[in-house]
Amino acid sequence: MSLQAAVPDGRRPSLAARARTNWGARSRQERLGLRLLLPVFGTVVVVATVPFILAFVRSLTANDGRFVGLENFQRALGNAQLVESVKQTAIYAGIVLPVEILLGLGLALLVHRTVRSPAIRAAIYVAAMIPIVIPQIAVGVVFRLVYAPDYGILNALLGDTGHDQILWLSSPPLAMLSVASVDVWQWTPFVYLIMFAGLQTVPTESVEAAQVDGASSWAQFRHIELSYLRPLLLLVLFFRIADVLRVFDHVYVLTGGGPGATTEFLSLYLYRVAFKFSDLGQASALAVVVMAGMTIFYSVITRFLPAERR
Amino acid sequence: MRRALARGLTAVVLMIATALFVFPLYYLVVTSLKTKAELFAAVPTLFPQAPTIQPYVSVLFDRGMTQLLVNSIVAGLSATALALVVAFAICYPITRLPLSRRVRVFVLNWSLSLRFLPPIAVVIPYFTIVQAAGLYNQLPAVIFVYALFNLPLSIWLLKGFLEEIPLEIEEAALTDGATRWQAFRRVVLPLSTPGILAAAIVIFAFDWAEFLFAFILTATRDAQTFPVGVQGLVTQFDIIWNDMAAGGVIAILLPLALMLIARRHVMTGLTFGVIREK
Repeated sequence: MSLQAAVPDGRRPSLAARARTNWGARSRQERLGLRLLLPVFGTVVVVATVPFILAFVRSLTANDGRFVGLENFQRALGNAQLVESVKQTAIYAGIVLPVEILLGLGLALLVHRTVRSPAIRAAIYVAAMIPIVIPQIAVGVVFRLVYAPDYGILNALLGDTGHDQILWLSSPPLAMLSVASVDVWQWTPFVYLIMFAGLQTVPTESVEAAQVDGASSWAQFRHIELSYLRPLLLLVLFFRIADVLRVFDHVYVLTGGGPGATTEFLSLYLYRVAFKFSDLGQASALAVVVMAGMTIFYSVITRFLPAERR
Repeated sequence: MRRALARGLTAVVLMIATALFVFPLYYLVVTSLKTKAELFAAVPTLFPQAPTIQPYVSVLFDRGMTQLLVNSIVAGLSATALALVVAFAICYPITRLPLSRRVRVFVLNWSLSLRFLPPIAVVIPYFTIVQAAGLYNQLPAVIFVYALFNLPLSIWLLKGFLEEIPLEIEEAALTDGATRWQAFRRVVLPLSTPGILAAAIVIFAFDWAEFLFAFILTATRDAQTFPVGVQGLVTQFDIIWNDMAAGGVIAILLPLALMLIARRHVMTGLTFGVIREK
């Protein structure tokens, strides 16, 4: 029971590739394939694209349906609160991404090099999966119990030892660190699992050869293991960036974006504009900008992703 | 000597890491088993003094969250079924029939791109559509959105499973005079059942955990899902700790159990096939 990374080189030809080389009935089969695929896939694409078009149309109109050109975009992008929210999102990403990646990678190396027992490895594997599968809302519940005043375990400990309570979730610089720590708690194991899987693809011969040559642990990591992990590090980075941009649930229940707007990340800001202020014009403009941004981000990253592309 | 030291150090680091990960969950479970009186102890207790399931009864029945549990299950099952049927219809041609590489890559890439969209950007136009269609605060709207957004995951999981069924088996059936439909019905479908079930478990767990869509597209108990109810327990002004913890435990238990059953496929799903279990 161990994970492995499917690094794209040296793979055997896929079934589909072999099917393609079967020239005999090819064109008839291909036509059958398209006949089966297109109606369903076409419908899905249309269904998934309609909201984009609607959002775009809505972003060009006022609440009374009047066409207002780019006015909503001007209001949305010129809003100081958007700038503030982007800044907070960047700070959050700046905290959680390096911490999760370094911790996850460090733990993976540690376990990979020193834990030999398959049973312990399997136990760690299953344990690492637990935080990942917990619904984000429940993660919010868990950390309410850690950070709350009075009943929260941290403040209970402080009170018990005669210290003053700390408002983990409602004093400005701390709230950011508290919600970031929740992200680290939940997603470091994800990074760990991917990095550990990547380390299993490093051929033992090259590691042994390096050890015979007297390479230090660091040199072994830097010159051998890291080259195998590089595509996976990129993958982790992209997935985590996409996830940071969707962060909503646990922050919503822990701080609600506060205190002030110090933890109001992009998703929470869009939520407030759309559903608290009911400013659907401005919200649609923001949604269009975010969707366009993600589309560009995605088309860039797919060039680097080690996923199968055959 | 150095080895032993390294091992000792690893053990310590792993134990600290485990404690940090496990303790918050432990405190959640403990709190969910406490009586109301115990919540007001001067110093919060680390073991329930008189364990009780009262908080669970209170959450499920007094607060009426059984209805939300039912909604979550109905929405999850329907959305999973819908996503899998559509995903199967897409995956069968791209894995079993000689489509050109361009078509195959386009389908897979496009479906992966859905995964990267922040749900909040998508839910803004959806909210308008759902309201206009008169589906606001109704389960079908939730089911539909869940199915669409778990389609990428469904497609990538099923594609992996279907590729593992040798093409030769199907070809043998065709050579023996079976039609494509018969070969599909009698050979491919039965062989892919375990894969479909595994995918169903993973997808259902994701549907179960979803919060934002349900939060915005529903308003009352008729259509709210369980996580939306749990959110109410956390954000209310005076939090009843044991009830909130019990709600959290219930929300966690089902996906945890399901994921342990289908653990071989969870990471494959989360990383869209990059990580596989060997």
